Amino acid sequence: MHPEMERAKARYQAQETPEELSLAVRAAIREGDRLRKRRRTVRRSLATALASCACFVLLVNGSPSFAQAVYDVPVLGGLARIFTVTEYAVNDREHIIDVRLPALENTGHTELEQKVNQEISTRIQSVIDAAETRAREAREAYVATGGDPETYMPVIIDVDYEVKCQNDQYLSFVVTETEVRASAYTEFYTYNIDLETGKEITLRDLLGPNWMETVNAQVAEQIAQRAQDPENTYWTTEQGGFQGIREDQPFYLNGEGLPVVVFEKYELGPGSMGSQEFVIQTEQ
Amino acid sequence: MRQNAPDNRQLLVEHIVNGQTEFYRLAMSYVKNRDAALDVVQEAIVKALSKVDTVREPAYLKTWFYRILINEAMNHFRRNRNLVSLEEVMADRAEEGRDPGERLDLYDAIERLSLPEQTVIKLRYFEDLKLEEIAQATGTNLNTVKSRLYKAIRRLKDMTGEEIDYAP
Repeated sequence: MHPEMERAKARYQAQETPEELSLAVRAAIREGDRLRKRRRTVRRSLATALASCACFVLLVNGSPSFAQAVYDVPVLGGLARIFTVTEYAVNDREHIIDVRLPALENTGHTELEQKVNQEISTRIQSVIDAAETRAREAREAYVATGGDPETYMPVIIDVDYEVKCQNDQYLSFVVTETEVRASAYTEFYTYNIDLETGKEITLRDLLGPNWMETVNAQVAEQIAQRAQDPENTYWTTEQGGFQGIREDQPFYLNGEGLPVVVFEKYELGPGSMGSQEFVIQTEQ
Repeated sequence: MRQNAPDNRQLLVEHIVNGQTEFYRLAMSYVKNRDAALDVVQEAIVKALSKVDTVREPAYLKTWFYRILINEAMNHFRRNRNLVSLEEVMADRAEEGRDPGERLDLYDAIERLSLPEQTVIKLRYFEDLKLEEIAQATGTNLNTVKSRLYKAIRRLKDMTGEEIDYAP
């Protein structure tokens, strides 16, 4: 190789690498694995749900008494309650968009269903519109500043949902919007519905009037516990870390029906920590 | 494809772990900031792993990961273009005031190329990628890579007086 290029390469390779690189890499691998599993599980469970629905229709048509019986089985009855209302993908020069939007049905509370479905679709549509505008502007700016339009990397927008808890009493699901540009950023919206009353559940409903104290104590304890692992770095309260939960802190219900409060990326620690979730024990 | 999935994941993780220093340096050479470079590397890893099941051919994993990494670095660079620290501005001013007859060091000259040209030079000479691999890693065709490399070498010669071999 050309001797000057050798020198340039040596200078390039002499760039110092920070000590925490391998920790950061490992954390990112864990996060990537987690997202990958989630994608696969959601796909698989959706396939199962579709397969069950197919049988369902077949048997219902075949036997009226079976149809009667099946409505008494909570799990099968539950299948009808949340479904994908919109699914589409756009793939062009400006953006790659992948959307799977949920909607509710058969909750027994029509008004609530309409309200929630309306809210999900307006909220997500405005998020997608804004993301599309940003994508277009970014591309125009790229081309205007001399970038070759052929090499522009499209913005990736991914909307998906995950059902967290579904039983006779509760229905809890999280809708996420991920936009990958400078760095991946995920916004999420949680929905928790009490199927008996037809209302959205609050942490106060689950934990009583002292819910804030209860949650704060348990989160602080779990942070202290997780901080024992040297791979976890939480900011201290003075550094802007955990300050107590907000009135509108997002949460969802896990499979056992326990509330899980969620803190966004950067809220409690550096970006490498990702978003943080804490299961809160209720008194019962 | 299902059968290959776990192998691809394993191959990708090995590739990332073994190459982490190189990936960090490449990111750093674009974003020029330690924390930003760490962020770029992390985001690239998260994105690559979560989408690894979409890669059919294990042979493409290497260039595929470069593509994601460069993409992340470019996006970061673009997004923060308007946020330049005072130090950088002062350094640039000093740079402008230099004697036009004076020759630039080759490394400094590379930094003055356009981003796509920089990418071709860095991948070719610093990361030792083949031209076909560069085409895959940048999502362009081979002819674009060739002409870009040729132009970059000419510009480097203007700035440094050094004659770099087209394909050493």
